Amino acid sequence: MSQEGSHEWELSKENVQPLRQGRVMSSLQEALAQQDSSSHTAVQLKKQEFEAEIRFYSGDDPLDVWERYIKWTEQAFPGGGKDGNLAAVLERAVRALHAQQQYYKDPRYLNLWLKFGDCCNEPLDLYSYLHSQEIGTTLALLYITWAEALEARGSFRKADLIFQEGLQRKAEPLDKLQAHHKQFQARVSRQTLRALEEGADGDNMGLLEIAEPQRSSLADLKGRGKKKVKAPISRVGDAVKAMNPNRSCQPQASLQLPNTPSFAVFDENSVSGPEIPTLTAQSWPAPPVPRAKENELSAGPWNSGRRPRSTVSSAMEAPHPLPSFTPYVDEAAQPQMMTPCKIEPSINCVLSTRKPEERQDPLQRVQHQQQDTQAKKEMVMYCKEKVYAGVDEFSFEEIRAEIYRKKAKKKDEDEIQAIERKKEEIQRKIEELEKKLKKKEDDKQQQPHEQAAEVMGASTPLGMQEFTFPGATEYGEKKPQSQSEFQIYEDTQPHKPSCSDNVGLLPPPATAPLFSIFDESSTLANQNISCSADRSRKSARHPLAVLKPVDSLSVKESTAAAACDELNGIERLTEDAIVTGSYKNKTLCANPEDTCDFNRAAHLASTPFHGVVAQRVLAPAFSQNELKRDSPESKSAPLNQETLVCEGAYTEALSVKKLSPIMEASLEDTHSSGSSVSGGSLSSVTQMSAIKCLQISEKLELAQSLPVEVVADSGGNVTEDDAAQFLWSPEQRKKLLGSVLSSLVASPDFHLETDVLPHMEVEKDVELGNETYCIKMEYWNNEEYKMFFTIPTGCIFQWDQKGFALKVYSQPVPWDFYIILELQKRLNSDFDQSFSENCSCYLYQDGCAIVHKDINCFTLRDVLRDRNFITKEIIFLVVHDLLLLVEKLHKAEIVHGDLRPEVLFLGDRICDAFSNEEVQNALKVVDFSHSLDLKLLPRVSFPYNFPIAQTPHGQQLLAESSLPYQVDLVGIADIVHLMLFGDHIQVYQENSIWKISQNLSKTPDSDFWSKLFERILNADGKSTVPLLRELREEISEMFDSSFKERLLLTLAAVGETFLLVNSQ
Amino acid sequence: AQQQLGREHQGITLRGSAELVAEFFSYGINSILYQRGIYPPETFTRVQKYGLTLLVTTDPELTNYLNNVTEQMKEWLYKCIVQRLVVVISSIESGEVLERWQFDIECDKTAKDDEGPREKSQKAIQDEIRSVIRQITATVTFLPLLESACAFDLLIYTDKDLAVPEKWEESGPQFIANSEEVRLRSFTTTIHKVNTTVAYK
Repeated sequence: MSQEGSHEWELSKENVQPLRQGRVMSSLQEALAQQDSSSHTAVQLKKQEFEAEIRFYSGDDPLDVWERYIKWTEQAFPGGGKDGNLAAVLERAVRALHAQQQYYKDPRYLNLWLKFGDCCNEPLDLYSYLHSQEIGTTLALLYITWAEALEARGSFRKADLIFQEGLQRKAEPLDKLQAHHKQFQARVSRQTLRALEEGADGDNMGLLEIAEPQRSSLADLKGRGKKKVKAPISRVGDAVKAMNPNRSCQPQASLQLPNTPSFAVFDENSVSGPEIPTLTAQSWPAPPVPRAKENELSAGPWNSGRRPRSTVSSAMEAPHPLPSFTPYVDEAAQPQMMTPCKIEPSINCVLSTRKPEERQDPLQRVQHQQQDTQAKKEMVMYCKEKVYAGVDEFSFEEIRAEIYRKKAKKKDEDEIQAIERKKEEIQRKIEELEKKLKKKEDDKQQQPHEQAAEVMGASTPLGMQEFTFPGATEYGEKKPQSQSEFQIYEDTQPHKPSCSDNVGLLPPPATAPLFSIFDESSTLANQNISCSADRSRKSARHPLAVLKPVDSLSVKESTAAAACDELNGIERLTEDAIVTGSYKNKTLCANPEDTCDFNRAAHLASTPFHGVVAQRVLAPAFSQNELKRDSPESKSAPLNQETLVCEGAYTEALSVKKLSPIMEASLEDTHSSGSSVSGGSLSSVTQMSAIKCLQISEKLELAQSLPVEVVADSGGNVTEDDAAQFLWSPEQRKKLLGSVLSSLVASPDFHLETDVLPHMEVEKDVELGNETYCIKMEYWNNEEYKMFFTIPTGCIFQWDQKGFALKVYSQPVPWDFYIILELQKRLNSDFDQSFSENCSCYLYQDGCAIVHKDINCFTLRDVLRDRNFITKEIIFLVVHDLLLLVEKLHKAEIVHGDLRPEVLFLGDRICDAFSNEEVQNALKVVDFSHSLDLKLLPRVSFPYNFPIAQTPHGQQLLAESSLPYQVDLVGIADIVHLMLFGDHIQVYQENSIWKISQNLSKTPDSDFWSKLFERILNADGKSTVPLLRELREEISEMFDSSFKERLLLTLAAVGETFLLVNSQ
Repeated sequence: AQQQLGREHQGITLRGSAELVAEFFSYGINSILYQRGIYPPETFTRVQKYGLTLLVTTDPELTNYLNNVTEQMKEWLYKCIVQRLVVVISSIESGEVLERWQFDIECDKTAKDDEGPREKSQKAIQDEIRSVIRQITATVTFLPLLESACAFDLLIYTDKDLAVPEKWEESGPQFIANSEEVRLRSFTTTIHKVNTTVAYK
């Protein structure tokens, strides 16, 4: 019954503090429910949230945060008390906002103060403090609350004074203040009248007899006094308020009921005049004498009291008849909670010296804090206000984390924006680049020099090497460079006999080289002479010669700076958050905490080829270049220049990537090659790596056709590791696709969408382009890829009808589409029903969707579900088509990489066997998530990253040396095994021949199958296309005339049940 | 002995039920007026009822008014034509409705035709009423403080065809906009069922 739960509040009504503004029942119930479960993590989390918000609030209304925090605290901790720590929160709030003068007239701020006042022992002090600080003095609420408090204590006259003050100040809302004042006056007059009446009537109790004075609850009732024990009676309740002062002839002196002459109150003009000054006379913010706290003791040194304690009994009798302090008697007669008996005499002594404890009262603390800030001399060296801003203390790490999170969030947002902008421009850029490339190609043939200048920015340095003039070669030897580059120089200029000269051999002086350029008379002349004779010399220096290297240097420096920026990205310990402006200690400037500095130093120490070092190595190179440049004819000079720049940039790129090329060419070597005018040593190196060069030149074409970013990655040696990364990271794929994006975009089936990928769910409609599809089934779904079966919205779903396969990729990379287009291109007429002939690609900002038309909703997995379907004929048909399909893929130099029953959609041959005799294909593959284009990436020989390689059999079968094509063979073997035996393939090795664990002998056609497995599993290193064709043709031979009939029969027999089973 | 047995098994008749419910309203309204401070606390006196100490007004005018209402309610309850009693508490100054106590009454109209009494002892009914009154008292835990002086109004919803008696007038429902609503316990005499809800700002 819901009532049981919803009436919980009634059970714990005593534990719920009433609130002025009432409570929200839902939050009250929540809070009460959580009290039981003791772990109110949700509440703690929320609190933490507020605490964090207070610290990192960046708006212009911090009060808002505090107000919400306090309101929430009130609601979430109905019990009040230490739990929610409301008093502490309020204290922090008023303290934190105290400096903000703009809030002094804000009713919300006043509200905080008044709430805080409720937590204080002496709210009256607080009110007068507020008054003196001009906080809320324009607001009626202050005066109303103040007067009410005074009235409750019986100080009617003072209460009236407060009202007068408020009215005088025209506190807003004035009408409310006036109304309250009137009510107050009415109450007071009523009371005085009654007092008069009753005074006259004597002991006529009447109704008021009920209103006996009551003791305050939980008050101490222990007897007081030594000889005559009197229980302290502190009276509270209606009786006290309503009681006739005349009748308040209680025996206790402590209960001082208002003895106000009732007439005086109304005599406003005469009374209020002189009284007002007392209101303002108080010297706030000087801390008032601590009240109501006299007898409370906080921890302090007790050593002074040790001895008396041992003689308690004697001490009890007499020792301190007169305490050294004057007992404080509250004018409002606050109940004294402690009896003297409870306090040991020793402690009494301490009481007299208890000055420092005066800050027990929250109000005192607030005031002191303000004074402290004024008088503060010490400097805080950390972000103290952040650590202690709220009620909880935050650690530096928390603050840092919060700042980091904020930064990261902002960065993300910026990135998204940047991506958007990029997308808009990408089209234009591609066109520009293409134009440029074309122009380059033309220029290449006409004017190599100019071309070089243009390409330099956009293309790899390797691309330039073909046009390198002999002069460049020398540096190639001496400078740190990758092996491949080096070879290319040699390859392109193998005929150059003595391309090196002494200049190159000079141990590069770190400082001088640039100046040596100008030293034409001596050095230059020498160099030029020593230069090889086959170059037509020109002694006249190119006018721009000096400037150019400077340019190139600056390029290099900028890259160096970029590298440095990278380091700067590492968060410094000395960030502003922790040590802000004024806190920063300038004397500690060489900051040991600076992680960035440290990292730089570490790099410097561990690699010889980084940052400053790189610069030093390069500088001489340029200077040499300069020297060299003088020797060739002026015509060639600019080209020479450019190449060098490129080299510089390239080596710099290397240094940025933190590769540390080994300087293999020792001084000695270069020396010999330089001095021994013959090119022998050079050419020998060249021959050794002739093949490599070819490969590289191939890559060069690729590199040139790719936009800049691709070059950075693929321009150098594509290591196998790189290639592995190439396979699966969407960024890499994106880069790869960058080169062909224009052709993708040009395709009529490609749609670039500006918004984000629509949400897709089974049985929901989804809009792609102008079409709306209804998603009917989900084939598979992992983090990145999803495959659905959809039909046009409005159609009725039938199992035997064709629909659309919808492939969704969570990255904006149209990889599948690319592969399909490439297949189409490379296979020409062979591109048939085995693939998706009709598909549309929708590229969204955050994903990519491809719709394949005319797809049967069944996959090979549906066939495998029931062993009855798998007749001999069907196996042969499927395997035949599978072999054919993979053969085609491999012919097109594409590896599918993820051959599973699920990805193989059934073709019409199975699903629609009767409709068309000509239909050949039993299988159709549309998904190329894990496919690899070996034309684009020819050197990949690392199949470990394919999904199949993760399976047990894949791990066994795919050695490191395997070709990627091998992956598909394993896939075929597994599918065949699944069809034959219903389970995944298990293999073992015997005499270094892979065999399957299953016994084939009982299977029909066991001869063929064992042959198939043997060949497929042991095809390592062999070309796959002939193998697949051979096997396929062998199956084809079995397709005799009767086979077709038998197949039709089985299909017919199976067809019915197939549809039945699968539609359930 | 026989008589005693009969007494213990005493059921409840329509008239008895109407009286019990009307009495509940009387004490309930009194409790609300006291708890919510509509009238000064000193004008209330204690009485023992339902095993509780309840406060009832001593103000003669108010007593008279409430008695009238109770009598009227008793009659309507007997006729089973009353649907709802509402205590509206509104600020005197602004006239704004601050609180709204709503007692929904479900009458079993078939009881009019029934001859014999229903099976439910008076004690069981009174226990249920007691828990409702207790809850009314406990509402101070969540109800907001009534800052300004307030007045109360009684609304009674009856069947449509009823002629408005003297001293009564037709009125709107006086709802509170955006109110927080809390359902309290309900009790039933098997003939009349009373559901209590309080709505506040």
